[in-house]
Amino acid sequence: MQVGQRSRIAVALGAALAMAAGLAACGPRADDQPLQLKGGVPVGAVLSLTSNANAYGQDQQIGLKLAQDWFQQRRNANSQDALELNLRLEDGGGDEATASQAFNLLIDAGVVALIGPTLSQQAFAADPIAQRRGVPVVAPSNTATGIPQIGSFISRVSAPSTEIAPLSIAKALQLTPSIRRAAVFYAQDDAYSTSETVIFQKALTDKGLKPVTVQRTQLNDQDFQNQITSALRESPDLIVISAQAVDGGNLIRQLRELGYRGAIVVGNGMNTPNIYPICQRYCDGILIAQAYSPELETPVNREFVALYQKAKGGAIPPQLTAQAFTSYQVVAEALQRLNQRQPLAQLSLGEARKALMAELLGGQYDTPLGEISFSPDGEVLQQRFHVAQVRMQPDGRSGRFLLLP
Amino acid sequence: MSDLSLLVQMGFGALLALSVYLPLRCGQLSLATPGFYVIGGYVAALLSTSWSALSGDGAGYPLTSLALELVVAALVAAAVALVLGRPVLQLRGIYLAIATIALVEILRVLNLNLAWSGGAVGIFGIPQPFAGPGGYALATWVLLALVCWLCARLEDMRLGRAMAAIRDDELAARCMGIPSADVKLTAFVISAVIAALTGVLAAHFLNTWNARQGGFDASITTLAFVVFGGSRIWLGPVLGGLVITALPELLRPVGDLRLILFGLVILLGPILFPQGLITPERLARLQQTL
Repeated sequence: MQVGQRSRIAVALGAALAMAAGLAACGPRADDQPLQLKGGVPVGAVLSLTSNANAYGQDQQIGLKLAQDWFQQRRNANSQDALELNLRLEDGGGDEATASQAFNLLIDAGVVALIGPTLSQQAFAADPIAQRRGVPVVAPSNTATGIPQIGSFISRVSAPSTEIAPLSIAKALQLTPSIRRAAVFYAQDDAYSTSETVIFQKALTDKGLKPVTVQRTQLNDQDFQNQITSALRESPDLIVISAQAVDGGNLIRQLRELGYRGAIVVGNGMNTPNIYPICQRYCDGILIAQAYSPELETPVNREFVALYQKAKGGAIPPQLTAQAFTSYQVVAEALQRLNQRQPLAQLSLGEARKALMAELLGGQYDTPLGEISFSPDGEVLQQRFHVAQVRMQPDGRSGRFLLLP
Repeated sequence: MSDLSLLVQMGFGALLALSVYLPLRCGQLSLATPGFYVIGGYVAALLSTSWSALSGDGAGYPLTSLALELVVAALVAAAVALVLGRPVLQLRGIYLAIATIALVEILRVLNLNLAWSGGAVGIFGIPQPFAGPGGYALATWVLLALVCWLCARLEDMRLGRAMAAIRDDELAARCMGIPSADVKLTAFVISAVIAALTGVLAAHFLNTWNARQGGFDASITTLAFVVFGGSRIWLGPVLGGLVITALPELLRPVGDLRLILFGLVILLGPILFPQGLITPERLARLQQTL
């Protein structure tokens, strides 16, 4: 067939050209280039602005925006903080490939540091790329075990679930000492839920409450009647849920509708006011451990809360927003300190990235989360955690996270 | 270098599209491609992370180990396809599509629940056989060129002509003495092997592998490659896979609108070109004008 043969040649030529172009692009290493400081120090952020993780990404986007405003205010007030950042935000979607691609794009654009990605699962794919190319990463919301251990350039400001999750169990037991029978629910096709439930179940066992039943759900489930009825048959007086906002909200609603009256503890996936419209008045009383308290009385947190309330009409900032703000603040302050010691203009891009990572890990930061610092491998060291209880208004439309003492 | 890693992903898209195209070439709508893709990925992830003898002397992951993974993945996928293919390929049309979706779903649930597959978190920290995306681009495009060559050869081969005959009229083909069951099974097995080989490269390229890589969504995406590009000639799925994988990334400069534009393209493609972008007639006309 002549058509087939000709097109074959055409494709072979096309492939050869693509390959040649690709190999040519391999030539000069981006790291030897000087750091581009025009328009500010380039910093990249990769957040899930699309896909079903976008509920988290939106919260984080506000956090970065507020951090930019906050530094702008400080620059206006005090010319010593003159270093300007040029933040470039890319959509990381909800899958590994999109996040990796966004990381590659920003690294090639010459950013000194990266903030993101939103999901731990994406971090396992994208962080090794940054590590191989020597670009500091500050993760604002990855809570899975093993993220900072991906490499020396990977750090996070989001405390891992191993630290936070057990606190809410302890609080539930403190509020209701008579609890004897715990039931566990988790979304088995979700990385965050499956890793958090392991921590929850261990915390329960440590307290002498081996779960009487473990029920598995799916991320896209709407109807949980089967799991709920078989769990309620065991007459639990504590239910522990690891799920994302939408499925978890529906699960709580159906639990209450089917007559469960006991305590409910949920994990970090439901740590957002976006659950209020889903479970409405049934959200009332659930316990969630927090890495952030809006009531923390420090100047930086008061300013952060004020900025958020100005932008969002008086609402209380959620943890994800505070952590995103913190990630930007950590990068900006580390860059400023580095610039004072060793002007950035004199460094090549590769040197600046390396020096920034050392500076970042060595610093102390006064953030909306409280005082934080980093362990040598990049894990956040945070002083205070909290447990909140959701209190809904009688109309069931709005509510708040009430911090428990 | 981001262009290089995009080239890699485009190559994966084209390979998966060809894997859907091959059964379609003999009239079988099989959506099992992501299932075999996931099998290939798990073979690579498990072998490279848990069998320390493969990691070599520590300076990078040896290419011989990668070659071994490719062979093992191809064998595993071919064995699964052989065993499942016989009964499943008795079904036709939409029933075959449903059966293959079920296969993908069964594999997904198994991978979520079996101990060795790492559950929903999957397997991470997969070692790197290449220093950068350049190596992956080379490997992927060499594999793509090989598969393209095979598909182009099929046009002239007895097997390829038997496949085309079955697509046009299976009953007539059988009357002509074409062993239709064997031909369909062969196409299914080759398709499975291509998907599994792609999975091996993808697992290393992505650094991590989990059950989400192949699900119902992936089945539909790979089918879209073929519908968009055209299923009458192998260039169609290749183009479909390349374009649909690249488009969301190439549209990044338009910002928030990019997925809307992407959706529009997917929508307009089949409306304006119901047979796909590339049909043999259009190709012939293009040749003439050139």
